[in-house]
Amino acid sequence: MEIKKPAAAGTLESSDCQVTVEAGSGGIEFSLDSAVINQYGNQIRKVAFDTLKNLGVNNVRLTIVDKGALDCTIRARIEAAVYRSVGQTENLPWGGAIRS
Amino acid sequence: MILSGNPLSGRELDQLKIFLKKMNLEYDEGIEYSICILNEKHEITGTGSADRNVLKCIAVDPAYQGRGISAQILSELIQYEFEKGRPHIFIYTKPGNQDMFSDMGFYTILMTKQILFMENRKSGFDKFIEDIRRETPGEALEKDRKIGAVVANCNPFTLGHKYLLQKALEECDYLHLFLLSDDRGMFTPKERFEMVREGISGMDRILVHWTGDYMVSAATFPTYFFKDKAQGRRANCRLDLELFAKRIAPELHITERFVGTEPGCAVTGMYNQEMKGILPRYGINVKEIERITSGGIPISASAVRQAVIRDNLEAVKSMLPPGGYQYLSRYLKKHQE
Repeated sequence: MEIKKPAAAGTLESSDCQVTVEAGSGGIEFSLDSAVINQYGNQIRKVAFDTLKNLGVNNVRLTIVDKGALDCTIRARIEAAVYRSVGQTENLPWGGAIRS
Repeated sequence: MILSGNPLSGRELDQLKIFLKKMNLEYDEGIEYSICILNEKHEITGTGSADRNVLKCIAVDPAYQGRGISAQILSELIQYEFEKGRPHIFIYTKPGNQDMFSDMGFYTILMTKQILFMENRKSGFDKFIEDIRRETPGEALEKDRKIGAVVANCNPFTLGHKYLLQKALEECDYLHLFLLSDDRGMFTPKERFEMVREGISGMDRILVHWTGDYMVSAATFPTYFFKDKAQGRRANCRLDLELFAKRIAPELHITERFVGTEPGCAVTGMYNQEMKGILPRYGINVKEIERITSGGIPISASAVRQAVIRDNLEAVKSMLPPGGYQYLSRYLKKHQE
């Protein structure tokens, strides 16, 4: 999938995370802010890259401001942000790419 | 409960203004969207607003702090900005809020005793400087050169601008001309850039850059864009000047800033006044250059815009360089059609 416009999903509230995506400049540019970056930074990064892979996104600037979200939350927020970035809000193939 | 509006109006706006006053904040002109978190009695417990890509007037009642209200407000505002297609977001707030907003993914650009200015990109400001340096020949980045700066909207580019640039060039080796990126003027940024390029042809020691979000922008000097309406109001320009003096000028070894005298506009007049107070403290000389006149009237871009609106083409012609007038008449024809 190709990021068409900037999009955000999630919140900065406790146990959630805020995910933003923008079109990349050739590759995945990942930025993470988290109070638990030392404990879970690598795990969050892995979840993020796996999710992008499943979505077929390889050119994106992805930022996550994490407030202690579980893996499933992070995954859902990334998927929502990516789906919003292509303007799709219905019939979502959660977990997979939108194919046109 | 959430109350929001684009912007709020009537009784709800009054309620917000009263709340902000209690928090020692003022409702800014230019706010396009506000959100308030209400308690069960419909009283405001926290609020935040957006003016283009700038988040401001953010406050939470001390009695309600520590309940995640500011996180809720910021989340809503950021979602709003992204839906507007604005991924690069700034916060204008008080220094005491630095830790809180750092935890929400914002990075400090400048902090003074009164103001804290942040953005949601780790290296946003650094990239801005990097781009300017890339647009600048190596010789103009050397320390022993005398480097000047002019910040102008050129809406449109007038004989006054040309005169100011000529005078400034006489006093320095290289001159950075920062052209406002804001798109709210009579002419688009692209049109202004073309007029400038034509107007300065032959003046090869001038380096033209965009101001981006970091100079005379909605973020650094919001009153500028309401100067025609905000006569007599305080110019909200300290941040702009401090940022220029502390972070922009040193990167480019700028030691001179040139401005035209400002007989007409109160807001720009106050900006010049503040400039003369602040910049010299950081080793930057401010040179105010007397405006040239046409038929006894000082030439300014706003005088040209007035003349354009009144269809007084003779007056327009007398204030623009020849190439600029040709450009403008093409522009007018296009818009009349």
